[in-house]
Amino acid sequence: MNRVKYENFQIDQQLEPIKVGPIQHMDLVRYAGASGDFNPIHTDPEFAKKVGLDGTIAHGMYVMAQVGKLLTKNFHLHQIKKFGVKFKGMTRPGEVLICTGKVKKKIDESKTILLTLEAASESGDVKLSGEAEIACD
Amino acid sequence: MQLTKDIIGQKLKSYTIQVEKGKIREFCMAIGETNPIFFSEEEAKKAGYEGIPIPPTFQTSFQFWGYPEIFEDMRKMGIDTDRLLHMKEEYTYLKPVYAGMTIKAEGEVVDVKTGKMEVVTFRTTFKDDKGEPCIIAEMGIILRPKQ
Repeated sequence: MNRVKYENFQIDQQLEPIKVGPIQHMDLVRYAGASGDFNPIHTDPEFAKKVGLDGTIAHGMYVMAQVGKLLTKNFHLHQIKKFGVKFKGMTRPGEVLICTGKVKKKIDESKTILLTLEAASESGDVKLSGEAEIACD
Repeated sequence: MQLTKDIIGQKLKSYTIQVEKGKIREFCMAIGETNPIFFSEEEAKKAGYEGIPIPPTFQTSFQFWGYPEIFEDMRKMGIDTDRLLHMKEEYTYLKPVYAGMTIKAEGEVVDVKTGKMEVVTFRTTFKDDKGEPCIIAEMGIILRPKQ
C-alpha cells in the first residue's frame, strides 16, 4: 500500500475487515512448511487428540499473519512501527476468521495512529487481540 | 527441572540466517498475502522499497529455520515444552529487512513468572550485517497447568 497521511484517519475509524477461510487442514500444513513450525498439534489430528485437544489447531502465528494482512493492505511497510498481539483462543480447521482494525488513538506530535486489532470467528469467538502503531506522513 | 526466575538474562543461541526471496514468496502464499511487493522486485521498487521486503510476521520463520533447537534449549532452562502455549508476540520495526540480507539474531530471557501461571518472555533482536537492529521481537509463552 502507498504511504498514508495522518489527517486521513479519525478516532474509531475502521479498516475494511478481511475474511479468511474456512481454514483448511492443508492451510496449516502449508503454513508449517513455510514458517518451519512443525509442532504436530497443528498438522497431526491423532497427535493433537493424544495431548488432550479435540483435533488440530491453527498456529497462533498463522492467525497473527492474517491480521498482518490488514496492515500490509492499508499501510506502507515503512510506516508500521509496532505490531503486537495476545493469543486468546484456539482456531480450528473449518472456522472462518474475521480480522478487524480500528483507530484507537491519534498522537499529533509524532503523527502516529494507534490501532486496535482483532481476529474472531464468525460467531464472535475472539482468537487474538492486538495493537499496531503507524507513523503517518 | 523446575522453572525459576534464575533464567532471566540467560542468552539464547545466536544464529544468522539469509533472507531469501523464494522463502518470502512461499510464506506469503501460505498466509494468502497477495501484495505484489512481496513477489516482484520491480513492484517493490515502484512502491518505494529497496528490494523485496518481508511481511510483518515473516521473522518467525528465522527462528524456526535458523534455530530449530530452541525447544531443546528451553527444556534445558526448565521449561516443560509439552505444556507450552504461545501467549504473546510483539514486534518493533526499526529498519526494513529485504531479500538478500543476512540477519543475525540475538535472544535472551527477559521475564519469568512462576506460581499458578508460569510465563516466560523472550526478547530477540534481529540485526543487519552492520550490527544495526532491524526488528525487536518479544515472545511470551505460557505453560498449561500440569494435569
